[in-house]
Parts: sequence; structure tokens; C-alpha cells
Amino acid sequence: MSESSPTLHLSSGPHIASGRSTAQIMWMVNLSLVPALLWAWAVFGPVVLAIAVSSILGCVVAEAAACKIAKTAMTVFDGSAVCSGLLLAYTLPPGMPIWMPFIGGMLAMFFTKGMFGGLGYNIFNVALVGRAMMMATFPVEMTTRWVAPHLGAAGVDTISAATALAQIKLGGEAALAKLLAAAGDGVWFDYFVGMRAGSIGEVSAVMILLGAAFLLWKGIIKLYIPISVLAGVALLAPFSLSPGLYMLSGGIWLGAFFMATDYVTSPITPKGQIIFGLGIGLLTGIIRNWGGYPEGICYAIMLMNILTPALNDWFRPKRLTADGVPS
Amino acid sequence: MSFFSWGKAALPTFSRGGIHPDEHKELTEDLPIEAFTPTTVSLPVSQSLGAPAEPSVVKAAKVKRGDVIATVPGGVSLHAPVSGIIKNVQTGPHAALVYDTVITIQAKAAEDEPEFAEEAGWQDLPIAQMLERIRDGGVVGLGGATFPTYRKLMLPKGAKVDTLVINGSECEPYLTCDYRLMLEESDKVVLGSWLIAKIIGVANCVIGVEDNKQPAAEKMRQTIAALGLEKLEPKVRMSVVVTQTRYPQGSEKQLVQSLTGRLVPKGGLPLSVGVVVQNVATAYACLEAVRNRKPVLERVLTVSGLGIKTPKNLRVPIGTSVEDIVAHCGGYSADTVKILTGGPMMGRTIADLDIAVTKGTSGLLFLTAAETSLDGYQACISCGACVDACPMGLEPNRVSQYMEAGRPLETERFGVKECFECGCCSYSCPAKRPLVQFMQVAKATYRRHERKSK
Ligand code: SF4
Ligand code: SF4
Repeated sequence: MSESSPTLHLSSGPHIASGRSTAQIMWMVNLSLVPALLWAWAVFGPVVLAIAVSSILGCVVAEAAACKIAKTAMTVFDGSAVCSGLLLAYTLPPGMPIWMPFIGGMLAMFFTKGMFGGLGYNIFNVALVGRAMMMATFPVEMTTRWVAPHLGAAGVDTISAATALAQIKLGGEAALAKLLAAAGDGVWFDYFVGMRAGSIGEVSAVMILLGAAFLLWKGIIKLYIPISVLAGVALLAPFSLSPGLYMLSGGIWLGAFFMATDYVTSPITPKGQIIFGLGIGLLTGIIRNWGGYPEGICYAIMLMNILTPALNDWFRPKRLTADGVPS
Repeated sequence: MSFFSWGKAALPTFSRGGIHPDEHKELTEDLPIEAFTPTTVSLPVSQSLGAPAEPSVVKAAKVKRGDVIATVPGGVSLHAPVSGIIKNVQTGPHAALVYDTVITIQAKAAEDEPEFAEEAGWQDLPIAQMLERIRDGGVVGLGGATFPTYRKLMLPKGAKVDTLVINGSECEPYLTCDYRLMLEESDKVVLGSWLIAKIIGVANCVIGVEDNKQPAAEKMRQTIAALGLEKLEPKVRMSVVVTQTRYPQGSEKQLVQSLTGRLVPKGGLPLSVGVVVQNVATAYACLEAVRNRKPVLERVLTVSGLGIKTPKNLRVPIGTSVEDIVAHCGGYSADTVKILTGGPMMGRTIADLDIAVTKGTSGLLFLTAAETSLDGYQACISCGACVDACPMGLEPNRVSQYMEAGRPLETERFGVKECFECGCCSYSCPAKRPLVQFMQVAKATYRRHERKSK
């Protein structure tokens, strides 16, 4: 005791730290995603779990390989690869062959994150790149393997042909009328709660909001990005055939709260985040209304990801000076 | 400021950033200040910012408590904190400078120990003489800055100052020495504050105390009412303002904003917005120097942390070694991983127990692995926590990225030169990045570069 012990550490301050760690944040995000997965299980059956596991495995294997190749510290346990895998799975149709997400996850992780130097250095949201790559590689499976919900009425009749937005995109007003007629009066409720055809994680706005509320409560995300994404989408909703369906489907909620808020690929200051979110919302609307895809938030987010470094340069934090202008 | 505090009358605080770490003040806040005098003291001669000091005593000389033992040209002197024999004048360790000339005194009571009794009529001394006594008393900023106080109080010609801010924030976790001083010596702190207000010629003095030290604020208020300051000339309006408990409330710029609403301009001093800031312990020391002609011979410090057997608030002679304090406090446990001088946010680690208490030592902390972080760091995930926490509105994340990329001389625009190393950024970083260290290295690179290009 009390003799100069050999274990004394020397370092500069501060000597205390907040309890937050990167791994803790990532695992909390994963936790917040669980309700949506459980809901998808109830609606589409256990196959969604297999897809999620396949996608997660793909991401984890690629991350481990990238760490080995680059000879850096093994980071697969920090939860971020699992997070990317989960998010990727959430963008996929529940009827897809279960080996495909594994390939998609692996490619996305390796090319988006591994090649750029790992967590913190990627420019694009990993899950979204995965989805885009899968759209290019497996176009048929990505757009046709929908599963009719086991719960509720919406889409029962439309079986697994396509999501509502895709049907409307192809068939116009006639398709919309048919769809609404088939779904009956409960259509808005079914869409909000998530009893309809759609991608695994995006069917239920309620479950996504539940997860998001947890992240807000824990101070992990802020509202600037999600609110401005939703506002941007809403601004262009009147140009669509069915503004209600437009707001409630197509992954907007998942994108706004979980994809666009990814720390690494989004700006830091409130102003930057608001411009970023509005940009995503407006681009989503432009793609949907006048572009070739029925959905579009995936590409909108990736486009804005490119702008993130510039937004960080344009919108700097306010300094503690009278004018607040950075040097 | 948060969503949930809407509607509640918020206590004053600074406008941007800041953190609220676990306070750990409960370890020592209820322990009265205890005096402890070791048998030998070793004083590094450099005890204040500025020119190096020169010893003015030689080995084997006899000194009396309060004698000058080292001088600084244009600075403040160092005094023998105890009577005794000079045992040694040689190179030895210094907490901040690594090495310094160290004067060691073997304590031995003199027959005629000086009493430092109160001098009548001290209130009416000419200002110049008051300043002289503060200088000769070796008073420096005891909050840790150790800038010679008389220099800060000698206002430049034409300076317009209307407010004195007395800093009783003690925003560093663990530390309770200023709190105890306000509780136990409130009359001296209040009189000292009045004295400083008189010296700089202001009629308004605000004492800032954080919300977690309500008893001290209450005690200071009672003392102001009880002392009958209105009988003193000039009249100074004294008030105690309770601020939010938020680190770094005790930093000058932040405290000035919290208490007066004024923003100190970039690179400027509080003086430029009409404010002078002094710490409560410094006010106390000024009073003793002027009223009792007692130089700074001792200081109150907090010995705390889960590693030390019995935490204490101690009053020790300057030059008391960490080793003697450890022995007096029952030793430290084997799971202590860091020993610090100062608080856990801005304090320094020490490697050896032969380091001595200097005028700027406000605490001695023995931290176990459970209290401190020894983790390695990871890549920045751009979460923005550091930017949100920075009270100056700087971008430590960008600085750290540029430093890692080997581009230190491109970091000025991210605020490197405005950083005062409070540590809020590193504290908040989930990737545990040593952001303050990156800031320090960037600053040092600029200094070297600017010297070279001159
Ligand atoms: S240490 Fe510097 S950069 Fe970090 S929070 Fe404090 S002032 Fe800001
Ligand atoms: S807190 Fe750390 S991880 Fe977050 S932006 Fe700052 S440096 Fe990067």
C-alpha cells in the first residue's frame, strides 16, 4: 500500500469520461430496432428473422475480413456491423431467398465501410448501399417477393405483386382505386400500424416511432433530421395521387429516423442537419413523383450523404463571441 | 435549456455547451478544513506564471515563518511557510515544470513566531500601498491560474471596469476546498472581496456560487448582511448569485456571461467588458496580505478520490509533499491508477509522491479504475457530442481528424487558438478520443511554427 505503486498512469486531462461509448450507442440503436422486427415476424412470419440473420451475418463476416486484411483492431463487437445488417434487412421484401441478404450485406460492408477504413470513414450509409447493390444485382427478387400480411386487411387481395406505391406508379388512378376498394375502410389504420405488404422493417410506422422515441429519450438522435425529412416529403406529397399512402409507406419513417440520422454520414450542426433532412425529403418526392422509382428515399439519402462534408463546412457551430462566426 | 426545463425559472448559466459530470463532492463536502503541518517542506521556487524565480536563501540559513526565500524580477516572492533551517537548495521535481529549483526547510518553531495580527486602519490604506502588500505577500490566482494578483488588480490606464466577479463556482468535480472556505471563513472572503472592489474602484461585486453549494451561498449572504459593510467607505453593493451547476462554470469567460450577460470577445480578457474576476481563495489571501500582512504561506486543498483511505479538506503549508499528505490521510489503495493535482477535468497526473503542494494546488485526487477512464480511443463517428459540449463553440472533432492526417497547421479555423482546454469535448466523446491532447499538440505546433517564421 501507499508506496509509489508501479501502476500509476500518466496522461493529460480530462481524467473522467461520460458513460457513453461507441459500442453502447450502436447496441442501443440495435435494441431500438427490435420492435419493428418482432412486428414483421408477427405480420410476415418467421422468415423475416432468417433474412435478418442472413444479412447481419453477411455484414459481420465482411467486417471481420476487412479488419483482418487491414490488420486493424477487430471491431465486429461494437455493434455497428450488426446495425448495418439489421437496417439492410429492414429494406428487403420478406419473401426474398434467404441467401441473398448475406451476399448483399457482405458486398455493402466490404465496399462501403471496409475499403474506406472502417467505422467513421464511410461516406455512404452502409445499409442503403447494400440495398442499392441488391437492386442492381437481384432486381426481380427485390421488387416482387412481397408477402401478404397475416394481420389486417390491406393488401390481402393484392397478394404479393408489389407494394402500394409500386402499383400506383404502374397503374395510376385505376390502380389506386382498386387498391383502396380492396383494402376497405381500415386502410389508413392498417398502413400506420403496419398490416400491409411492404419491406420487413418499414411496414409499421408505429414500431419505428417506438424505437425512435427510445433513441430520443437516450439522447442518441435529435429531431432536426427526421422532422425535416418528413417535412420535405410532405411538401411534395400533394403532387402524388394519394398523399396519405405516400406519407405512410415506402420506408419514409425508417429512412427519416434510422437511416438519415446515421452519425457518420450526416452533418453535425442543427442547420446542416435541417438542410440535409429537407434535401432528403424533397429528393424523395421528386424521385417518386417525377422519377422512375416508386419509392426513392434510399437514393435521396445517398445523394445527400455526398453533400455531408460540404454541409459541415458551410454550417459551422456558433462560436461564443458576439457575432458567433467561426475563425 | 432542455425541453423539460421549459417553464421552470432557470438559474443563470453560460449560453453554450458545458457538461455535468458526477460531482463526487459528497466524499469531502461535510468535512471541516483540518490543519496539517509536516516536519519538512520542499518548495519549488516557480509558483506563479511569469519569469523564473531565484532563491534568496542558502543552505543552513535560519528562516522565520513569512521570510522571503525566493524572488522573481517583476513578479511575486515566495515565503517560508514555516520557521526552521534551510536543509537544501537544489534541483528537484515540480508538478507542472517537471524540474525546478527546490528549497527544503526543516521545520523548527522560532522563539518569536510572527503573529500576523490584524492591523488597525487597514481599510483606509492608500490603494498603492494595498497593491504593494498584495504583491509582497506573494498573492497569485489561487484558483489554479497562479497569475500574480497585483498585476491583475493594477488596471491599465483608461480601463473602464464596473463589476467585480468573485468566483465561488468550484465547478471541478471532487473539489470542495473553496466550498469549505466559504462556509468556514466567509467573513474573510467577503471582506477580501470588498477590499478588491475598493482597489479596482468598482461599486458592484457579484459572488457566483453553483447550485450544488447552496449552504455556502446562504452563509455568504448572511455574512454580507451581518458584517455591516455599509459602514465601510467606499460602499460596494455585494450580492451572491446562485448559478446552474454546470462545468466549466468557474471559467472566467463562462462565469462573466452567467453573472453579467456580457460576452468576452475572442482573445480578450473580462477586463474588456468591464469585469475583473477573482477566486474566493484569492480574495481571502488578499485580505490576509493587506490586513494582517500575512503572505501566502499555506493553502486549503481537497484530498479525495475513492483511492485515498480518508478523504479530507486540508490546510497545509506550501511545499508539503504528496507523500506526507498520503501518510496523514491513511495511505492509498492498491487499485489507485491515477494521482492528480487539481480537479479531474483539468488536473495533471503525477508519477511520484515527492511532488510538493504549490500555491496553485487545489486538490489531490487518488482515482481508482472505476472512476477514471483508461480506455484506448477509436475513430471519430461524427456524432457531434464534442461540438455540443464545447463551451466555446469550437470543432475539436475536425481538429482531431486533421491532426491524425498530419495537417496541424490547418486547424486554426476550427478554433485551436480559442481552446482553453476545459476538457468538455474529451469527456463527452463516445469514441474516447483525446481531443484536448490533439488541441494542445496543435497549439504547440503553431507556437513552434510562429517562432520559426519570426
Ligand atoms: S477543451 Fe477546448 S475544444 Fe474541448 S471543449 Fe474545452 S474549449 Fe472546447
Ligand atoms: S465526440 Fe468524438 S466521435 Fe463524436 S464527433 Fe466528437 S470526436 Fe467524433
